[in-house]
Amino acid sequence: MWSEKYRPATLAEMRNQADIVSRLRRFAETKAMPHCLFAGPPGSGKTTAALCLAHDLFGERFMDAFMELNASDARGIDVVRTTVKEFARIATISEVPFKILVLDEADNMTADAQHALRRTMERYTYTCRFILSCNYSGKIIEPIQSRCAIFRFVPLSEQDVAGYLTTVAEKEHVRLEESGLHALTVASEGDLRKAINTLQAGASAGKPIDEKLVYEVIGKTKPSDVQDLLEIATKGDFIKARERLRSMLIQQGLSGKDILKQIHSEILRMPIPEKNKIELIDATGEIDYRLIQGADEEVQLSSLLARLALTSSQKRSS
Amino acid sequence: MSPPWTVKYRPKRLDEIAGNKAAIQQIIDWLDAWGKGPPKKRALLLHGPPGTGKTVSVEALANERGLDLVEINASDKRNRDALERTIGSATRQSDLFGRARLILVDEVDGINLAEDRGAVDTIVKLVQETQSPVVLTANDPWDPKIGAIRNATMMIEYKRLGLRDAIPYLKRICQSEGVQADEQALRLIVDRNQGDMRSILNDLQALTSGRKRLTYDEASWLGFRDRKATIFEALRTVFSSPTCLQARRATDLAGVDLDMFFEWVYENAPRQLNDPRDLSRAMNALAEADLYRARIKRNQAWELLPYLIEMETAGVAMSREFTKPAWVPMKFPERVMLLSRTRKARSVEAELGRSIGARCHISSKRAISHYMPYVRYILDMDPPAGERLVEWLGVTGEVMEYLGLKPTPAEKPVKKTGRDTTKAKVTKPRRRRKTA
Repeated sequence: MWSEKYRPATLAEMRNQADIVSRLRRFAETKAMPHCLFAGPPGSGKTTAALCLAHDLFGERFMDAFMELNASDARGIDVVRTTVKEFARIATISEVPFKILVLDEADNMTADAQHALRRTMERYTYTCRFILSCNYSGKIIEPIQSRCAIFRFVPLSEQDVAGYLTTVAEKEHVRLEESGLHALTVASEGDLRKAINTLQAGASAGKPIDEKLVYEVIGKTKPSDVQDLLEIATKGDFIKARERLRSMLIQQGLSGKDILKQIHSEILRMPIPEKNKIELIDATGEIDYRLIQGADEEVQLSSLLARLALTSSQKRSS
Repeated sequence: MSPPWTVKYRPKRLDEIAGNKAAIQQIIDWLDAWGKGPPKKRALLLHGPPGTGKTVSVEALANERGLDLVEINASDKRNRDALERTIGSATRQSDLFGRARLILVDEVDGINLAEDRGAVDTIVKLVQETQSPVVLTANDPWDPKIGAIRNATMMIEYKRLGLRDAIPYLKRICQSEGVQADEQALRLIVDRNQGDMRSILNDLQALTSGRKRLTYDEASWLGFRDRKATIFEALRTVFSSPTCLQARRATDLAGVDLDMFFEWVYENAPRQLNDPRDLSRAMNALAEADLYRARIKRNQAWELLPYLIEMETAGVAMSREFTKPAWVPMKFPERVMLLSRTRKARSVEAELGRSIGARCHISSKRAISHYMPYVRYILDMDPPAGERLVEWLGVTGEVMEYLGLKPTPAEKPVKKTGRDTTKAKVTKPRRRRKTA
C-alpha cells in the first residue's frame, strides 16, 4: 500500500502537526520523554509520529526497543498483565535508557485493563515509556491521562494533504488532474490514509485521475453508511432496515457501538419533529449503556430503528 | 380383524406416497449422486411433522432399488457403543451378498441425552465417514441438541399433507375397502389431523369399521387428538394472546431453548405486528428482555429469568393494539442462519484483517474497513497490481482463495483463525518493503 510505502520514516519527514513534531524532536534530541497520549482523528499521523519518534531515538534498528500493541486486538486485562508487563520490565542496554511501547487505539481498552495499565506505567517508568494513541481522549481514564503528556492531533490541512498527494503521484508516475487533486483533498477531510488509499485505488483504473474518477472510487469504497440505514428506517421499512443493520454487523463486521455513535451524531440533523429528537437521544443513551452491560447489539439497535420508524410515521399522518 | 390400514396401505413404491413430491425427488437425486462416489453431504436429514411420509419414503426407496435397509430408531438403545455396533459396522461394509446398503436412523431428535450418551457425536462421525448413504429423520430439526447433526447433513423438509394430495389418496383407499365416504367427511378428517397421514388413516379406519358409508356428521364424532404444541403455536400465542398470563405460557409450549425462542420472537415480531406503533412497543419489550438476558448471563443472575420470559412473551403480546388480525406465516430466524452461513467467511476475514493490521499498523477490525475496500477495487481494476498488493500484505492460502486468487504455495503454515482475543497481537515494525 502506498500509504505504508510513503509513511514518513523520521520526524523531519513529517510535514504536518508542526507543533507536535517539534516537541517530539526535542524528546529525540535530549533522549528523554514522558509517557504520551496521542489523541486525534484517523489518518492524522498518530501512529506515524510514534514510529518516527522511535526511529529518531533508537535509529534504524529500533524494533529491539520498541513494541507496538494494538489495543483493539489485544485489549483484555490479561494482555496488560502479561505481554505489556513482560516488555516493560526488562531494561535495555542501549544509550537510550528506556524502551517505547505504543498502545494503538487505546480508547478501545476496557476500563479494567486501563486500570491495570496505570500501575504498570508507574512501576516501569524508568525502563519503558508508553505512547497511547486514541481517537477520543475522553475514553481514557483520568489517572492515565494525568500520567501522560497529551498531544492533540488535528486533521491535516488541505494544503498538507495536497502536498503529500502530489509527491506520491509524482513518484508513482500517476497523472493527477487538478480537479482530481481538489476532489481528493476535500473528500478525505484531512485523513491522509484515506486520501492516499483513494489515490492508489484510482491509479489502478489506468487513466488520468480526475474528479469523476475520485468520486467513483469513493462511491465504491465507502462502507454502507448509517445515513442509508436511518433513511430506510424513516421511510417506515423496518424489516429492510433491520436486514441492513444485520449485514453491517455480521457481514461487514462493524461494531454496534460505532454504529450507535454515528446514529447519535445524525439524530439532531434528521428531518423529524424536534420534540422527538430528544426522545431519540434519550433512547440512544440508554442503549449505549445497555451495550456496555453486554446486551445484544442487533436487538438493541433495532429497537431504536423501530422507534424511528414510528416517529416518522406519526409525522406523516399528522 | 383386518390389519391396521397404516400397515396395509403402507406405500411400497415412491409413487404411492401422497404429497411431498419435491422432497422425494431431492432424495432420489441425492441417492443417484452416490453412483459417482460419496457426495458432499453423505447423509440426509428428513424433517417434518409426524405422518408426512419421511420413514416410508426411505423404506420405499430401499425396496425399489433393492437396497439392504439397516434401520435403528428410538425404540433401540442408541448410545455410542450401540450405534457403533449396529450402524457403525454397516457404514463400513456392504452386506453378505454384496448388496448396497441404505442406512436409516429414525427419529434422531428423540435421542435422550442422558441415556444415549455420545449419540450425537457418534452419529456426526459416522455420517462424515460413511461409505453407504445414510438417512436421518426428525420431527423438530431445530432441536438444539441435534445442532451438530443438522450441520453435517443435507436437510429436506416434509410438509403437512394438504387436501389436494390427501383426498385423492383417501378416496382410493375407500374404494378398495368398498367404503363410500363423503368428500366433506374426508376433508374434516384431514383437517383435524393437520395432514398427518398416519393418524388420518387410523381415524378413517376407526370411523368406517363395520360400515360401508361415512358421512360428515359421523366423521365429526371423533375427538381431536392432543398434539404437542410446536414453536409455531407458541409464537401464535405470543403474538395474539389477550392476556399476560396466557402469553407467558408460550415458552412452555415452545419446546426450544430460551435463546432460540427469543430469536424466533425477535425475527417474527415485525411481520406479525406490522403497525409501527405496535412494533415499536414490541421491539422495546424485546430489547428489555434482551437486557435481562445480558444481566443473567453476565452475573449468573438466574433469579431474573421470569422477567426475561415475561417481557419476551407478555411484553410482546401486550404491544398488539392497532395491527389488524391476519394470518402471516412464521419465518425461521434469519439471523441464526446468516451467522452459521457466514462463519467461515468471517473467520477468513478476521485473518485478513490481522495480516493487513500487521503491515499497516492498525487493528484488525479497522484494517478491514480502512483498507479492504481499496484492495478490492484495485483487484477489480488492475488484477496484476492487486495481486502484488495482496502478496505484499502477506496473506496465506485460505485468504487468497477468499479474495478470488490462486493461493501461492504457503511459505509459512496457515495460522489458526480461531477468534482468540485473549492472545496479544504484537506487531513489530518491519523495515519498509518495496510496495507494488
